[in-house]
Amino acid sequence: MTRSRFVAGLILGGLVLTSSGCSDTFNAGPLEYVSAVTLTQDVPGKTNLAGKQPLQDKVRAALAGLFGDSPQRIRVPEGSGLPGGGIYLASYKLEGDGANARRKRIYRPRADGTPDPSRPQAGGYAIYRRNCLHCHGVSGAGDGPTAPYLFPIPRDFRQGLFKFTSTPNGARPHRDDLRRTIKNGLHGTSMPAFHALLSADEIEQVIDYVIFLSMRGETELMLIEEAGTADENDPDALEEEVVKELADGVFNKWKTAQEQVMNPSIARTPATRESILRGRDLFLGRTKEKLECAGCHGMLAQGDGASFVSKEVFDSIVFGGNPSERAARLSALDEKTRTLWTQKLDVWGNPLRPANLNRGDYKGGRRPIDIYWRIAKGINGAQMPAHDSTINERQIWDLVNFVLALPYEPELLTEAGNEPQRAKLADTATAR
Amino acid sequence: MRNWSILFALAAIASVAAFLYAPFSADWWLPNPPDQTHHVISAFGREIDNLFLIILFITGAVFIGTQVVLVYSSYKFVDEMDEHGKPKRAATYSHGNNRLEVIWTIIPGAILVFLAVYQVGTWASIKFRSAAPRVAPLAEITARQFQWVIRYPGPDGRLNSPDDLVVVNDFHFVKNKQTLIYLKSSDVLHSFYLPHLRIKQDAVPGLTIPVWFDSDTAGSFEIACAELCGWGHYKMRGKVTIHETETDFQRWVSDQLTEQNKSQLTMTAGAEGR
Ligand code: HEC
Ligand code: HEC
Ligand SMILES: [Cu+2]
Repeated sequence: MTRSRFVAGLILGGLVLTSSGCSDTFNAGPLEYVSAVTLTQDVPGKTNLAGKQPLQDKVRAALAGLFGDSPQRIRVPEGSGLPGGGIYLASYKLEGDGANARRKRIYRPRADGTPDPSRPQAGGYAIYRRNCLHCHGVSGAGDGPTAPYLFPIPRDFRQGLFKFTSTPNGARPHRDDLRRTIKNGLHGTSMPAFHALLSADEIEQVIDYVIFLSMRGETELMLIEEAGTADENDPDALEEEVVKELADGVFNKWKTAQEQVMNPSIARTPATRESILRGRDLFLGRTKEKLECAGCHGMLAQGDGASFVSKEVFDSIVFGGNPSERAARLSALDEKTRTLWTQKLDVWGNPLRPANLNRGDYKGGRRPIDIYWRIAKGINGAQMPAHDSTINERQIWDLVNFVLALPYEPELLTEAGNEPQRAKLADTATAR
Repeated sequence: MRNWSILFALAAIASVAAFLYAPFSADWWLPNPPDQTHHVISAFGREIDNLFLIILFITGAVFIGTQVVLVYSSYKFVDEMDEHGKPKRAATYSHGNNRLEVIWTIIPGAILVFLAVYQVGTWASIKFRSAAPRVAPLAEITARQFQWVIRYPGPDGRLNSPDDLVVVNDFHFVKNKQTLIYLKSSDVLHSFYLPHLRIKQDAVPGLTIPVWFDSDTAGSFEIACAELCGWGHYKMRGKVTIHETETDFQRWVSDQLTEQNKSQLTMTAGAEGR
């Protein structure tokens, strides 16, 4: 009889497996935000709360009060400026206070505006969890399980800094910038293009969630900064007033950035030979402005400029062995190279390489306006400086024309002394 | 234990029922436009499906035949005991049957040879380079971990020049027109798969492989990667849009080019928003 019991067990097991694994409403177990390193650890040169338990608790409590204590119990502070007051962030709304709060399901509206019980809203968090979390992590710290295998590693949203933006250097991104990144991906990195994978509505929801994580992360850093100035045993440290003010400061940065998109006041100069050559001279620092492009990007724009560590050193540190032993490889470098290495990290502390401009892959997009923004206002957090204060718009367009032409005419730099011969260019173009 | 033969019979009946049901359900049948379950949209698709159906009929008939024999013999010749616990029937021993063996080797062999010869024409028209249509390539598609980078020639009509249109995971072509693309890979093996057109071609690093197809229906379909190419393999899903007319397609191209050539924001920023 044991045999028939075995068969029955097999069939039952199969049924359970097939009915549980495929459901879309399947919800992972409790998820927890990771906290900023400076909350509990001593980081030299940065304000931190290492060893100051009461202050740590206060920061945690303030953060949970503002944004909810876990991604499954999201709260949206008033004044966040998120669309619909944050209604698109999740599939539910928290009603009530503290531990008694209950989750109430959100349904998408019918044409007449009443909720339609047959169409539950997925919400930004669910879309993020399914598509982004494995890279960008639960808290948006860029520490998902896939992250250690990638170069460059995924963005940590928690400083509020984004690289490919249309707003002034250091400002928060415009919503359109995030939308472009998510729709088109970042070419040449592992950040995928989602426009074929997500609907327009889902993309809007996930943008909301990215902004939410970014605001939450930045608020956490501000709280730590603020608490760092307080006395450990001061019962009044981080009062409600102060917390609210800090959070509003963070929200306001996002609000002002939406009005600060940089729109070139003149259209692109036609990409004539003259314009391209003017751009080349600017790039090589041959004009009176003495631009440093080639110092970073290299004389041949292959991303090997003298002001960064050499490509060989870079590759041996980043790719030359087990990623967890990178520190050991670094300490084997001589003093000078090591100092240079530390100076040329990005603000997130990750290794960084100037772009090879011969490849024609642009992370932030290939439209002239994208390249214009990169040159005019720099790339946030990535060493590439803003140039709009040193050169005028016409000169920026000349540089754009040069950058866009270079992948098809490497002769522009290899024969930088002489006027490239048109006949030869035509030859190589057809051969390719 | 006669029950086993009943279990076998049920399994066989369920399998046959699944096959009989499949043509009546769009979800179970081969990928075709929604609401047109039996309309294969490409010429190659129709040939491939014919081959598929021939094989399905042959294997189906063989399956039914062998299952009938299996169920019948396990029912008929089940080991029965008498009241003393001794088998009722003595086992018989044989050295097999040479004639039967030859027959059931030759028949499947002949079927295989038939299929091998019968499909040559289809294979040649889909894969032989000499069969490629003499048209200019519509696009160059480069697979990379983990996306399809699609490059259309710009106004100068040449690929790999500065005016090319470059899009990701978004492939467009025109209905009722032989379409030729060049397939490349910039890292590892991928496989360019258009399920609705029944087109599947590996993308091999270092090779430029021509792929051609057509469609008699406009609409929106999908691209998939059919070669496990790394952890993000599943992300290589793209959109295919088949335009009704060349004019529609050209309009799409010029809209995309306008966007790609954008040098100033025309509307106030934020107009793209919700
Ligand atoms: C395969 C890993 C991966 C996945 C999945 C992924 N990303 Fe990314 N993402 C990256 C990497 C890597 C970068 C940073 C690239 C760099 O710094 O050059 C990035 C950067 C970003 C940025 C910053 C852009 C900027 O201007 O700085 C945003 C925003 C972003 N991702 C959002 C998302 C969203 C939303 C999703 C899910 C819909 C997602 N990502 C899924 C890897 C991933
Ligand atoms: C201080 C070093 C530095 C200088 C000076 C510099 N760049 Fe860069 N540039 C970088 C780095 C680093 C990156 C790569 C950023 C990244 O990938 O995150 C980059 C990226 C780029 C990109 C690629 C953007 C993209 O979307 O992928 C372009 C184009 C570019 N730089 C052009 C220029 C031009 C033109 C100049 C001179 C006007 C210039 N850079 C000056 C460091 C520099
Ligand atoms: Cu692939």
